[in-house]
Amino acid sequence: MADSTPSTPPDEERRGNAVQRFYAAFESPPRRRALHLLLLAILVVTPWLASQYMTVILTNALLYVVLCLGLNVVVGYAGLLDLGYAAFFAVGAYTIGILTQQFGINFWAAIPFALAAAALAGVIIGGPTLRLRSDYLAIVTLGFGEIVRFSARNLEITGGASGLSHIPEPTLLGWYIDSAIDFYYVFAVLAVLAYIASQRLFDSRLGRAWRYVRHDEDAAEAMGINRVAVKLAAYITGAIFGALGGIFFAVNLGAISPESFSFQQSVLILLAVVLGGMGKIPGVILGAFIVVLGPELLRDFGTLRLLVFAVLLLLIMLFRPSGIWPEKRS
Amino acid sequence: MAWYDLFLQMIVDGLVLGAFYALVALGYTMVFGVIKLLNFAHGDLYMTGAFVGFGALSLVSGVFGAGWPGIFIAMLLSMLAVGCLGVVIERVAYHPMLTAPRLSILITALAVSLVLQNAALTLTGGQYTAFRTDLGFGGFSLGNLFLSWNQIVLVTTAAVLMIALELFVSKTLYGRAMRAVAIDKDMCRMLGINVSAVIAITFFIGSGLAAAAGTMAGAYYGSIWYFMGFLIGLKAFTAAVIGGIGSITGAMLGGLILGLLESFGTHIPFIGSEWKDVFTFTILILVLVLKPTGLLGKSEVERM
Amino acid sequence: MKKFVKLATVAAAVNLITATSAWAAEPIVIGMQAPTTGSEATYGQDMFNAISLAAEEINADGGLLGGRQIELVSGDTACDPQQSVNAASRLASQEVVGVVGGYCSGATQPTLKIYGDADIPFVIVAANSTQLIPANPGNAFMINSTGADQAKTAVDFFAGQDIDKLAIVNQGDAYSQDLADLTRDDWEKAGHTISAFEVVNKGEQDFSALVNSIRNSGAEAVFWTAYYADGGLLIRQLRQRGFQGIIAVGDGSNSPQLFDIAGRAAEGVYAFSNPTADFLPAAKTFISNYETAYDTAPGPYAPLAYDGMQLMAWAINKAGSTDADAIIQALASADGEAWLAGPISFTPQHTLARSNFVVLEGQDGKWIRYQP
Repeated sequence: MADSTPSTPPDEERRGNAVQRFYAAFESPPRRRALHLLLLAILVVTPWLASQYMTVILTNALLYVVLCLGLNVVVGYAGLLDLGYAAFFAVGAYTIGILTQQFGINFWAAIPFALAAAALAGVIIGGPTLRLRSDYLAIVTLGFGEIVRFSARNLEITGGASGLSHIPEPTLLGWYIDSAIDFYYVFAVLAVLAYIASQRLFDSRLGRAWRYVRHDEDAAEAMGINRVAVKLAAYITGAIFGALGGIFFAVNLGAISPESFSFQQSVLILLAVVLGGMGKIPGVILGAFIVVLGPELLRDFGTLRLLVFAVLLLLIMLFRPSGIWPEKRS
Repeated sequence: MAWYDLFLQMIVDGLVLGAFYALVALGYTMVFGVIKLLNFAHGDLYMTGAFVGFGALSLVSGVFGAGWPGIFIAMLLSMLAVGCLGVVIERVAYHPMLTAPRLSILITALAVSLVLQNAALTLTGGQYTAFRTDLGFGGFSLGNLFLSWNQIVLVTTAAVLMIALELFVSKTLYGRAMRAVAIDKDMCRMLGINVSAVIAITFFIGSGLAAAAGTMAGAYYGSIWYFMGFLIGLKAFTAAVIGGIGSITGAMLGGLILGLLESFGTHIPFIGSEWKDVFTFTILILVLVLKPTGLLGKSEVERM
Repeated sequence: MKKFVKLATVAAAVNLITATSAWAAEPIVIGMQAPTTGSEATYGQDMFNAISLAAEEINADGGLLGGRQIELVSGDTACDPQQSVNAASRLASQEVVGVVGGYCSGATQPTLKIYGDADIPFVIVAANSTQLIPANPGNAFMINSTGADQAKTAVDFFAGQDIDKLAIVNQGDAYSQDLADLTRDDWEKAGHTISAFEVVNKGEQDFSALVNSIRNSGAEAVFWTAYYADGGLLIRQLRQRGFQGIIAVGDGSNSPQLFDIAGRAAEGVYAFSNPTADFLPAAKTFISNYETAYDTAPGPYAPLAYDGMQLMAWAINKAGSTDADAIIQALASADGEAWLAGPISFTPQHTLARSNFVVLEGQDGKWIRYQP
């Protein structure tokens, strides 16, 4: 699915757009490090300069960075189409909600359980789908996402359609994490961790195996790559990223309900990944920011804001068919 | 009602519902066949079809009345208009993307879906529109089994459209070209087939069928709104995949099976109707695990 | 298209008002919070329309605090918790004096803390989940009765009809599921039978399997706890299939539009509702004004949304300033203030002190008061 040739002419591919050229100027390790430090500084300083509203929507964008980088492992690296990614997000959020609010377990002690639950969900969805290829995979993951959402709506332990509320805010060494700025920093740390993990995974042996499987599954298997294990690893990695986002999403809002984990949520995350440029980490991050901040910055259009946003999306896709910042392919 | 009456009634209801799913699923599967795109805007063409059909009916009802004759005329007009809209969407949004990665074109389809949905939302102010017709509640009973005239007309119309499509695809030159394009576009080009025209015709027919389903659904159920394409789009996609995406007979079969599954899912003993969708999706996943290409799908559909 | 043009003119009129008032005195900015995009936009736009109508009337009468005009800013929640938080933060950073709205309970709840921290009075119009009560930091006031009151009215009504087997259908959202659960519990506690307890998805059009299931259960009455749009379809299909028993709907279906969708099938259907609408002269004027301005009938939450804006305006005038604490105090002191949907006064938890549900009956395409 992802192995067809990009349509951008080779000339443009080499030069790239303004952002890419700017980024390319920082190719050498010291310069790259300087750029990273600069971005980190901007990340740290922003909430002190921005309004509360800006802080809140940036927090939301950082959450999306984590989710999109997670889905990018599944879709971008391993080439597995996933239309039910919100399920992992839901598993993380609900597990933390149930454990802390209904069983009174400490937030930090509950995190490993939430991650384990998500990993298990990754195995459950990964297991039966390994034989399937993209389009059938799409519907199975979609079905899985809907099963998770309907179960959350129907079960008593998840609070039914009203969901769970009064999820306690966490404390860390006496620091009570509750203000908008606190959560901004929590998500900033998560996003940075997700970025580093994505980068490491991309360069790792596993990362190369994923790309090989995406490129040619049969050849990869012939070369001794364990297709089943590699695909499962992609699902589990993606699930853990998603659950991590869900865990902090739940404590940030203090209340969760099934509306947050709908098919549209899965679609929006996928949209961000593809729009930004599948497989390319900076592109995916850019996509996450566009998808979250776009509709917010268009709020002055009132009811028309989603229409305007959709037209903009369409235009972006038509002018940059491989995403804004696509992965270079040999 | 005795259990066998209930059973028969469930089959009848499932088939009526399935006929709608099948009509919409056909468009999904045809478009997938020729350009390997999961056209997520397809459900919104169903919605657009319902609104165009509504507008057309209010234009023609003066002459033909608001009974089935008027509805048929409105349906044909809607099929024509939405068919053209489908072709325009293909030209503007999908055609430039045909060489792009396959997920990009999927995202483009999602954007088109958002555009159609929000345009309808803006134009209708979010209101539900009552689709007024002169259709009665009449019907006849076979024992305890109840069949309304409307249901019979609906299922017959759907059947006629599907048979016409099947004949078109299997007997005509364009139908054969369509099947050829689905198998190998490059070869078709070399043989002098106008691939672009074939794709356009496919979109025209697929969108037209969605519009037919939309108009009939509006008339039969009595109200239309801007979001009505979302759920049925999802279900038609499910139906198309159960049947084996890319297979026309498969889409029809998938639609009917999904209709029956939902009808029976409401009545499963011990668990309530709130688990109906979980039941449906579980069956779907089981079908695909046992038969990874859907019921009638060919195993060599991949490798794009 | 006609509607769209009208909307545009109304928006232009609001702009004009705010433009002219800039010379007179500083406007009072009020936030509106409801979903105006996504699948719930129908109800959110209806609420925005009613709030705008109330604000226009107040402005035409000379505004607030001796001549200051109301300026409305909108916060679209899309019925999604995260987007509501964004909308609420934006309203807070626009320094609104108060907020009127709140439709989905799940999406309203996370906004309570934001308005609490920013010290902004919030009149919650439609959202009525009991979960909102403990989450309220003290600045929010709920003017819609909670499900418990309505469940009680429903159980009394059905018991008065001398029936035993009741079927309840909800739509799987917080509001209708809550009302359905409460009614089921009360009905069973009263010693009666629930013969069917069903859920449908929003946007499903075909209820034939459900109707069979209800008929087969021997239900003597059906209670639909969700909104009018899908309720209209269910009523049609129940009657089409020859269901002869009683059909009643909750207050989310209490809209004249139910008759548009269900047609003749809605004749004789009962609805539980605030004592709105066709009984007060003010309500008649409201309905006709609404129809002139927006070319459609007001939805189920339009009267409450109108009242919410009027209540906020009343409290600002009573407080005599735009100071948040004074307005909150004024709101808490409301003592039977009434506009369209019955008298408003609050319990110490800031929920509506007395519920006054009445039973309506559909006759000739209109709701009339039902007298047993």
